[in-house]
Amino acid sequence: MTDYAAATIARRTGPPAAWWGMLMLIASEGVLFAAFIGTFFYLRFNDPAWPPPGDPEPKVVVPLIMVAVLTTTSPLMHAAWRAVRDGRVASVRLFLVASLVVQSGYFAYEVHDFADQVHRTPISTDAYTSAHFVLLGADHGHVFVGILFNLWLLWKLARGITPYRANALQAIALYWHFVVILTWAVTGAVLSAAVG
Amino acid sequence: MVAGAERVERVELLEQMWEGRPGILGWFTTTDHKKIGLLYFWTTLVLFGAGGVEALLMRTQLAQPNLHVVSPSTYDELFTLHGMTMIFFFIIPMTTGAFGNYLLPLMIGARDMAFPRMNALSYWIFLGSAIFLYVSLALGVAPDAGWFDYVPLANHRFNPGRNIDFYCLAIIFNSIASTLTAAQFIVTIFKSRAPGMSFNRMPLFCFAFLAASAGLLFALPLLSADTIFLFLDRNVGTHFFDVAHGGSAFLWQHLFWMFGHPEVYILIVPAFGIATEIIPAFTQRRVTAFPLVAIAELLVVFIGFGVWAHHMYATGMPTITAVFFGAATAMVIIPSTIQVFAWCMTMVLGTAEFRTPLLFIAGFIFMFVMGGLTGIMFVAIPFDQTVTDTYFVIAHFHYIIFGAAVFPIFGGMYYWFPKVTGKLYFERPGQISFWVLFVGTNLLFFPMHIVGLLGMPRRNYTYPSDLGWSSYNLAETIGGYITAAGILLLIGNLFWSYFRGPDAGPDPWHGATLEWTTSSPPPPYNYAVIPKVSSAYANWDKADRAADREKLARGILVLQAGHQQVEVTPVDGTLDQIVEMPHESPWPPLLALSLLLVFSALVLGKFGLAGIFGIAAVLTLFGWHSREPQES
Amino acid sequence: MTPRTRHARLLPLVGLVAVLTGCNEEQSSLAPRSHAASDIASLFWWMMGVSWLGLGVVVCLMLLAWRRAHRRPGHEPKEGEQLAFRIVIGAGIVFPIVLIAALFVISDIFVIKTTQAPAKEATRLTVEVIGHQWWWEVRYPGTTAVTANEIHIPVRTPVRLEVRTADVIHSFWVPRLNRTIDTMPGRTNAIELYADAVGRYRGQCDEFCGLQHAHMGFYVFADPPATFRAWLANQERPARTSSGLAGRGRQVFMSASCETCHTIRGTQATSDVGPDLTHVASRTTLGALTVPNDRSHLARWITDSQALKPGNQMPDMQLPGSQVRALVAYLEGLR
Ligand code: HEA
Ligand code: HEA
Ligand code: HEC
Ligand code: CUA
Ligand SMILES: [Cu+2]
Repeated sequence: MTDYAAATIARRTGPPAAWWGMLMLIASEGVLFAAFIGTFFYLRFNDPAWPPPGDPEPKVVVPLIMVAVLTTTSPLMHAAWRAVRDGRVASVRLFLVASLVVQSGYFAYEVHDFADQVHRTPISTDAYTSAHFVLLGADHGHVFVGILFNLWLLWKLARGITPYRANALQAIALYWHFVVILTWAVTGAVLSAAVG
Repeated sequence: MVAGAERVERVELLEQMWEGRPGILGWFTTTDHKKIGLLYFWTTLVLFGAGGVEALLMRTQLAQPNLHVVSPSTYDELFTLHGMTMIFFFIIPMTTGAFGNYLLPLMIGARDMAFPRMNALSYWIFLGSAIFLYVSLALGVAPDAGWFDYVPLANHRFNPGRNIDFYCLAIIFNSIASTLTAAQFIVTIFKSRAPGMSFNRMPLFCFAFLAASAGLLFALPLLSADTIFLFLDRNVGTHFFDVAHGGSAFLWQHLFWMFGHPEVYILIVPAFGIATEIIPAFTQRRVTAFPLVAIAELLVVFIGFGVWAHHMYATGMPTITAVFFGAATAMVIIPSTIQVFAWCMTMVLGTAEFRTPLLFIAGFIFMFVMGGLTGIMFVAIPFDQTVTDTYFVIAHFHYIIFGAAVFPIFGGMYYWFPKVTGKLYFERPGQISFWVLFVGTNLLFFPMHIVGLLGMPRRNYTYPSDLGWSSYNLAETIGGYITAAGILLLIGNLFWSYFRGPDAGPDPWHGATLEWTTSSPPPPYNYAVIPKVSSAYANWDKADRAADREKLARGILVLQAGHQQVEVTPVDGTLDQIVEMPHESPWPPLLALSLLLVFSALVLGKFGLAGIFGIAAVLTLFGWHSREPQES
Repeated sequence: MTPRTRHARLLPLVGLVAVLTGCNEEQSSLAPRSHAASDIASLFWWMMGVSWLGLGVVVCLMLLAWRRAHRRPGHEPKEGEQLAFRIVIGAGIVFPIVLIAALFVISDIFVIKTTQAPAKEATRLTVEVIGHQWWWEVRYPGTTAVTANEIHIPVRTPVRLEVRTADVIHSFWVPRLNRTIDTMPGRTNAIELYADAVGRYRGQCDEFCGLQHAHMGFYVFADPPATFRAWLANQERPARTSSGLAGRGRQVFMSASCETCHTIRGTQATSDVGPDLTHVASRTTLGALTVPNDRSHLARWITDSQALKPGNQMPDMQLPGSQVRALVAYLEGLR
């Protein structure tokens, strides 16, 4: 089956429909986040003090380090895709597990940090906290979905590579590239409140 | 006749491969785009009836001043539900879900959508969202703040009931379905065309659906964001729209109309697509200025993303902003005028045969120009600021929606009726139904211009008798009932024809596109051979059709070995690979059901319960993907 | 050329509508009584004339198609493509661009100026209007005058009108005088109010604002300047004292919880939930133009306003008939 998959991939010229489908999903999610980030700035320009007095300024250093860490999953997922293309089952699993570890670590920290922040300044404080937490929460949600994707992939790949699984991996790798970019954008927007 | 025997054998194999589960259960597990299209069709038709009954109730209430047919709060629910139903639960699912689903794969020579199960899922989710919305009516808490649902009226302080929670969630739920449809239309158009169908050989219908899908894909998330914010404001205590805590009431309007304006072009573009099919068939002429029309179909949606603030001229925005959006609105008119003249010139130069479908298209052009011209009047900002929120606007968009989006749907129903049922409709009653509808809608909507100018605001459950509005309103109401009679006549004619109509054969109109090359109704696999295509009017290319028959005899591109379809390169449509397609599946309705439970829990404010149902949904997804196409 | 003669010239074209609009024009944007509204109305007449022409062209093309179909059997798929392409370019691109550009320049560069709000302090009079669910509070800054639903302005005098909201979005609209302006939460919007002629102009809330959006009308009275000054001076005064039956009514008012919602200046009633009633008898209508202001309607309004205007924010007051009569006598005296 594994060779058959590799042969299929080698024969075709472009990405499979699954990849295109994922691209469409990403396009739509991208607009959703554009709306979230746009809202964040729209409210900011409505409100002279941002964050409003009383709300804590966002932390800068740790979030940046965390995104940088998450960024490593992008090459890892790409490596997994290349391995699947060449039919190297063991390396596929290795790369997937590696990125899953990074992703889960990131997610665990962020959820903890989120809970901590909400505990100190509830989401219902004002428009700033509303936009801030919805933005972050939506981003973390996307990381979580990606983790589910990867778990599912590992489970599927336990029984070898098929064209179907290879296509899925290619699509999910695309998803992770998107999540990484998204996380940068969201972090950038959130941190912008610390400057100016 | 060895070749003949082989041919029969191949077709039999195909039949075995693609045959769906019979009986009622088969409708639940089907992934056949034609069956899903029919499911969409019947569901949206019923919802159209609901929206229409709501409209007639409103019209009855407004027939005379100071009537008490419905209470003020019921009236508010009526126009809100009417607007939501007609837009989200009738036109979009009717055009994309029913027409697009049924016809798009046929027109591009595919055997199914690129993601057949996702297609089924989109239907079941759509059904779930419709049930969800109408449950709110049964519970007496239907949305009641208008279809654009302005805050703060829609926020918890002024609307503490569950009404607006139903609004938010129904819209989010429904937009999941539309997003799935849109995403896979685009992928299907990119990947599943018949080899040889490069973009410039794609029927205009497909361009229109590509444009509508792209519009949906990019516009819906803006509405989702907006409704998510509102739901959170109402239920979690955020302050997106709360001015007292740094929020903004403008934010709602901007996000809504950033979606809302593209949305109205999403409503109309499929109608353009239908028109560009019917006109060539009944004039036996290729559409003139083909590339211009194709570009115009895409452009109208694209520019449509930049004009949203023309719905907000009265909010007191800076003049310079208003003028900017006025200029953008002026630009968006050009793609429409291009198309109107291209259609008219095709009709003039061809041999127009005014059978019922073409009559509806002629009516459509008339109504579209009427509605479009009032649209142009709104480019004059001071004029818009005067008639905004009056019946003049109601007249504008009913002309353009009923006349220009619904008439082609009716025309299309007649036009493709023989394809879908294998029967011909009765021509004379068909033409009568057109004239009844034409007279009815004009009587219904034309006086609205006048009462609007005479100062009648919209969303008024009643009006005083001394302002000279009464007789117009009575005329509108009568027109409303005539319209309803016309629709019943149309539906009755089609029912009657289904049982008593003469056989249609595969191609009664000598239509232009591929669907007319296959039998009526088409077999589950659509085409015995993946067709050869060398122009946008494939059915008129006799040589290609002969080549198809030849290929079937020789067994080329019949793909009878499995549940298979071709994939092509996105732009020039050269054959890329042959892929195995998923079979029927019980998972899509199950997933939709778990989502319905999630949304029901959410609307009750039971977030924990919603989480549990959410886990159920994820498990369903795992079940869904447990069997791969290649394995089965 | 005045707007009147202009649209008189278009009369043959627009016969249908013009004839039909001959009826009551109290709230008609086609019966303008200010320079701004006149500009808007003539803009409309011109646009409508050109629109009929545009529609005519398209209808003629379709009729042509119909005629030709009868004449010519058979077809030649490519014949005339060149011509068609040129017509599509000319009629579908060039011609509309020219036309719409002209419309844009006239309306959005020039006419828009005449409908613009005057700058702060640029007019001698400013009026503040505050939208409530479902009535209008009217204030005259710089004076103590407060009233509801009936705005008085001096004729042929530009007035700066500032609109705000106490709750949701409403929209201030007097079609015969000017365009619409929304009341946005947290913001003050402004517009010019100007009337050419003495008279009463009807307006109505133009943005859906809940149950009684349909009954949120108001009047603008354009008075001769002297009348206006007298009116304003009267509105500034606190309520007149009352005795006898009216005096009893006054006591009822203060004890029957009316004063928890209403203000009557000069008494201890100072709440601002409902309209200021200091000079309620000087108004011609009750409940934002829902019913005329006379004895029987006033009595009904007090005990039964939910039947007259279902869902409005004033509860039906359960009072014995004698108290209602006293209240009515009191309120009737508040001129
Ligand atoms: C199918 C839906 C549809 C379509 C296609 C359109 C098309 C257009 N609409 Fe419409 N519109 C709505 C649905 C639609 N609209 C709805 C639902 C609302 C109200 C929402 C609400 O408030 O509830 C609305 C409201 C609306 C407003 C806001 C009004 C207000 O609330 O104050 C404006 C303002 O600019 C506007 C403009 C236009 C314009 C310029 C076009 C143009 O695209 C029209 C272009 C078409 C033509 C121009 C026809 C071709 C004409 C010819 C070929 C004749 C010759 C040409 C010339 C003489 C130039 N529309
Ligand atoms: C697709 C869009 C669409 C369509 C088709 C219609 C169709 C109609 N509309 Fe509506 N309308 C809107 C979209 C649409 N409308 C929107 C968006 C609003 C704004 C809402 C808001 O302000 O929030 C609005 C508002 C609106 C108002 C203004 C309400 C107000 O502001 O107070 C009125 C009033 O007359 C009205 C009337 C009608 C009528 C009489 C029809 C008729 O043409 C309807 C005729 C249809 C039928 C009579 C149905 C018949 C069908 C069957 C019988 C099929 C049954 C078959 C089976 C069950 C198998 N509509
Ligand atoms: C809970 C608040 C409340 C109470 C108590 C109340 N009112 Fe009102 N009243 C209102 C509101 C709000 C309106 C405006 C209703 C509308 O037009 O929608 C109003 C309107 C009126 C009007 C019409 C004013 C106008 O110009 O349109 C009169 C008169 C009036 N009230 C008298 C009374 C009297 C007398 C009582 C006591 C017996 C009373 N009200 C008690 C809230 C109240
Ligand atoms: Cu106030 Cu409508
Ligand atoms: Cu628009």
